[in-house]
Amino acid sequence: MKYLDRIKRSAAYRSIFRLPDVATDRDRAASHWSSFLLHLYPVKVRRRELRFGYSAFLGVASLVLFASLVVSGIYLMFFYVPSPSTAYGNIQTIQTNIAFGQYIRNTHRWAAHLMVLAVAAHMAKVFYRGAYKPPKEFNWVVGVVLLVLTLLLSFTGYLLPWDQLAYWAVTVGTSMASYVPLAGETTKDILLGGPTVGSSTLVRFYVLHVAVLPVATVAVLTIHMWRWRKDAMLTVDEPEIAEPAEDELVLATAEGDE
Amino acid sequence: MANQEPRVIDNQRVLGVVPGKPAAGDRKELQEQDTVMVWPHLLVRHAVAALFVLLVVMLIALFFDAPLREIANPTNTPNPEKAPWYFAALQELLAHFHPLIAGVLVPGAIIGGLVALPYIDRNPSLLPQARRIARVTFTVFMVAWILLTLVGFAFRGPNWSWVWPWEEWHGEL
Repeated sequence: MKYLDRIKRSAAYRSIFRLPDVATDRDRAASHWSSFLLHLYPVKVRRRELRFGYSAFLGVASLVLFASLVVSGIYLMFFYVPSPSTAYGNIQTIQTNIAFGQYIRNTHRWAAHLMVLAVAAHMAKVFYRGAYKPPKEFNWVVGVVLLVLTLLLSFTGYLLPWDQLAYWAVTVGTSMASYVPLAGETTKDILLGGPTVGSSTLVRFYVLHVAVLPVATVAVLTIHMWRWRKDAMLTVDEPEIAEPAEDELVLATAEGDE
Repeated sequence: MANQEPRVIDNQRVLGVVPGKPAAGDRKELQEQDTVMVWPHLLVRHAVAALFVLLVVMLIALFFDAPLREIANPTNTPNPEKAPWYFAALQELLAHFHPLIAGVLVPGAIIGGLVALPYIDRNPSLLPQARRIARVTFTVFMVAWILLTLVGFAFRGPNWSWVWPWEEWHGEL
């Protein structure tokens, strides 16, 4: 601990973390705000938000899964070329000849499925807690956008191994697009880049999967978390404190007046 | 507010009291005693949750390999043809309704309904007993969706016929 204290007092540490001599909550709040990573968080939250039952930490779980998908996905990108003649062979090479390739591919696959589950569970939890109510209505809408982005990310990634599973799952999935009234065939053409799933489809899905959708997700996620921080200190209601329901109170007062 | 005596804080001078609402809107600030500092209380819990999630992913990835079937072959359609599991409910609906309903209207209504939810449910209460209608409606839709997903994922075999997953397995991840 003595060494830790010495490090904390060193000029280098203090220049990085800009900590004042921590004494009061006000000082702690000030150092919190001056930290790049901590500024994503509010300085304070309600005490009950610490309990597991409040959120089951499903939002954090979704975020961590997304982060692990970005990391494992970047690793896979080094060894993958999105063309029907190379894609499948690249996956085989990743699994057999690349250091940690099979493990990283497994991580990417399972984390993707888990992220869909975590995002859906997070939404259900938010619903049952009533956390979509004013002033947080719009952050719920931002969350729905993130759900759609998550599904699109997962679906576009599904095609990339270019195996029978990928090919026909995407054929089924995109065939639904052709039933959109009026713009159906156009939508399908834009998605597939041809009459059936082929090399243009693979390039389109790849670009969406590694560039467009992740960037969009990070942008919307930032808004989602920023609004969460902004709303953290606003009272919506305090239902969990045991108190008589409001209309009972009104009745009691009315009787007292008579 | 305007009629109250201004609260004087030690070592601070009152410059003036401005009547009216705060600029941020009509919001009730929290009482100090209900709150805790995020560092360390919340962040430590988030760190533990994050490590737990990573541990789960690591264990699954160590013991289960991601599937890789034979190379894509546009001339050989597998039977059954399965969408990814999160679209299994839609695929199941597609077997019963016109594609316009199952493929366009239902997913459109779900996303639209979710977006509109906070603007439809104007009940300000967070008490479970005061939100019975909202809770029951949401639960019914959610359970129906989970059941449809399960059926489409595990209970459908060749030609989308009914199979028992413990007899024939056709689910794909």
